[in-house]
Amino acid sequence: MPLANVGNAPGVAEGIEVKTKFPVARIKRIMQADEDVGKVAQVTPVAVSKALELFMISLVTKAASEAKSRSSKRVTAAHLKAAVLNDEQFDFLNDIVSKVADAPGGGGNAAKTDNDSDEPAEPKKKRGATRGRKKKVADPIDDE
Amino acid sequence: MSDREFGGSNDDLSLPKATVQKIISEILANDSGIAFARESRDLLIECCVEFITLISSEANEIADKEAKKTIACEHVTTALEQLGYPDYIPEILKVAQEHKVQQATREKKQNKFNTANMDEDELTRLQAELFRSATEKFSNQPAE
Repeated sequence: MPLANVGNAPGVAEGIEVKTKFPVARIKRIMQADEDVGKVAQVTPVAVSKALELFMISLVTKAASEAKSRSSKRVTAAHLKAAVLNDEQFDFLNDIVSKVADAPGGGGNAAKTDNDSDEPAEPKKKRGATRGRKKKVADPIDDE
Repeated sequence: MSDREFGGSNDDLSLPKATVQKIISEILANDSGIAFARESRDLLIECCVEFITLISSEANEIADKEAKKTIACEHVTTALEQLGYPDYIPEILKVAQEHKVQQATREKKQNKFNTANMDEDELTRLQAELFRSATEKFSNQPAE
């Protein structure tokens, strides 16, 4: 009988190995910035650090996928936004990415309704200047 | 480049950029050519801090419900499950276990020479014992 399986942790299937660690003391400080949070066991920030590592692997790889699906070697904030919008696990990040403009193309569902800010998000100063490549908004738009 | 905290937090609590950049590189190590733009890295850091806050808040509530004043590792794993990250749990338990083992070793080493409450006789005896065992180890070593 096959074992009940919640699936592998992020990065395991791809053989991703992260050697660098987050500063545990800093994580504890961030945790305790919340007034409601009181004492924290010594091992707890270590556990949270690991969770954060897995979270990062997940988000970074998904953002990279979004970039690749748009034939870009540079992962922009727009790609990160697309990654967030495309995954339920990242729903809590919707507010944070809403200030970013959407990336054209890809297969994602660019939620244009969230852009209530008037500024076109981070003015992409490097846009167009990078390697003189002109490809940009002119990307064929797939979403329908 | 945004240096402002969009999260509206009072503290400038964030994660060190260099560390985060290093981790991004490790995650994308197999994906040669793909790189994160600076703006995306900064946005990613915001997401990370938000993640920590999310987990802490949830774990804190869970601890509260159990009438516990200290957030333990178990509260974190339960929080992860409830928030939709069950696949992270096995890795975290592994890390927590390693930490416990390290702690035990650390404490053992500290207690081994806990001379704070010893009187002179005990100290002298301990010293003699240490000399004896050191001599023994020395004489048992193969000549080089």
